Amino acid sequence: MWTIAKLTIQEMVTKRIFLITVVMTLIFLALYGTAIYFAGQEGAEEVGNSGQGTEVFLMQQFISSQLLGVGLYFSSFITALLAIMSSVSSISGEVASHQIDTWLMRPIARSQFVLGKFIGLAFLLIAYASSLFFGIILLHQGIGADWMSLDFQPLQLIKAVSVFVIQPFVLVAFGVLLSTRMTTLNAGIISIILYGAAFIGGFIEQFGAVIEKASLVNIGIVMSLVFPIDSMYRKMTVFLFDTTDNPLSMAQGGMFTSISVPGNIMIAYAVMYGAVAVLFSIYSFNKRDV
Amino acid sequence: MDVIRTNSLTKTYDGKGGIRDVTLSIGEGIVYGFLGPNGSGKSTFVRTLLGLMQPTSGEGFILGEQIGTVKSREQVGYLPELFRYPDWLTGRQLLDAHAELCKIPVRNRNKRIQEVVELVGMAGKEKGRISGFSKGMSQRIGLACAILNDPKVIFLDEPTSALDPIGRKDVRDLMVYLRDQGKTVFLNSHLLQEVESVCDHVSIVHEGEMIVQGPWRELMTIEAQVEVVTEGALAAPFPAFVVNYQKGSEQGGRTRWLFQLEQERDIPKILHYLSAQRVNVFEAKPIIPHLEDVFMHWVNHKKESGYVDHR
Repeated sequence: MWTIAKLTIQEMVTKRIFLITVVMTLIFLALYGTAIYFAGQEGAEEVGNSGQGTEVFLMQQFISSQLLGVGLYFSSFITALLAIMSSVSSISGEVASHQIDTWLMRPIARSQFVLGKFIGLAFLLIAYASSLFFGIILLHQGIGADWMSLDFQPLQLIKAVSVFVIQPFVLVAFGVLLSTRMTTLNAGIISIILYGAAFIGGFIEQFGAVIEKASLVNIGIVMSLVFPIDSMYRKMTVFLFDTTDNPLSMAQGGMFTSISVPGNIMIAYAVMYGAVAVLFSIYSFNKRDV
Repeated sequence: MDVIRTNSLTKTYDGKGGIRDVTLSIGEGIVYGFLGPNGSGKSTFVRTLLGLMQPTSGEGFILGEQIGTVKSREQVGYLPELFRYPDWLTGRQLLDAHAELCKIPVRNRNKRIQEVVELVGMAGKEKGRISGFSKGMSQRIGLACAILNDPKVIFLDEPTSALDPIGRKDVRDLMVYLRDQGKTVFLNSHLLQEVESVCDHVSIVHEGEMIVQGPWRELMTIEAQVEVVTEGALAAPFPAFVVNYQKGSEQGGRTRWLFQLEQERDIPKILHYLSAQRVNVFEAKPIIPHLEDVFMHWVNHKKESGYVDHR
């Protein structure tokens, strides 16, 4: 299992796509940093003109949390796409090319092969998501102007990143599951459509919460149960922006944060969802011809 | 103990194709040829033995372990027909990964890898990336993988398909070397000459069915023909063991005859007969049938008789 996991990581790191991903991520972070810098400068002038009242302070905090929310949302989006693209071919690609033959004829159980693939991919994607998460936080807090600074406690950050990485965990598990049964193209289409539906479901839920329409909120909840991706992002913002000593919740500030708050049970559900997907992958791959 | 044993092993795809009802047992220290045209089910059979496919019915054992189990693959090597290896690895990294999967102790790994790359003629080249390997080099590194764990049984599926004549000879020599080491080599091939040159025992498969199996020498003697050059009067009738005869050219008082006999054992008998007839024999040459004829003979034999000839 560990040999397969190691090979999976080695494959990702060795391929040109890894270099492209790293470069594109750096470009994304550079763009985000630039945007944050200028937003900070422009905002500072506005602050100078508007004075220092509570209303102004609240507006600053709202704008700042929204800017951070946008960065994290797109980080989550990039991570999700990478997780889908790398996992849907993890097994089907090797079956199609017959590369899998010489691995599987070795004295290893198929469950070990599937687990190795999953562990390798999940490790990489979780490491990538964590780096992106802290990269965005550092840029926001470091390059942004003083007025943009948000107060984060280490525990908040740990809780938030722990939930943030559940997304790639679930996506990789789901992608590997599909990859054990169908071609890369089919698995990719299904994963992307489901991700898109979860993405839209999340927005519908937030919108429903704003206009207080229970049916819209329920649609979002159902989508979260079908594919618990967007709900993890929303939960992450709650951990990141809510503090027990602050009666004003910055997590409820807009569409990139969380107005309709997922419960803690949703975290357990998402983790279980991923774990069950891995178990199904093993079951599914155990008996199939390659 | 049988190294490989199957009992009515069948693998079909929704009831079609594949290979059906194969019963065989293969001992140790031989090169066993599984001969048949493309699409006859040879690779399906090997892939089923190796657990890459689930059998539709029947059973099989490798070194006494039921096929499909991890244990059945512990002492096995395999070179697939469609050999594809991760092109982002170097040959050496590929061998390292396989050594790890085979649990070859770390202290022995370097030595063993060096041994196998030398055996397959890849010494010094294994450090290159597989993406830069020619087809022949990929097949050679695949062979190195197949024998890396010093297996007791090695499945080679069309092992010379990408090799030039020198490479093909190297692989034949390697098979003989492995046999001499007491290994069992299961050779899948559609190349009659390849099978003929190295195999001790052969199965012929056609359209998903085993046609015949037995020692190659026996399968080859589908008909015994001998060409004889004689001097002196000779005419029919001939003894009963002479199935047919043909009188050929005459030159300088010598006549060329072609006798078709019932079996190979009748060749000395015809010579005795000619001697008894006071005919001088200047030349006697057994005629070896064309390999294609041998193959077609057994295919037709199965169609007519309807049973597998286990010799």
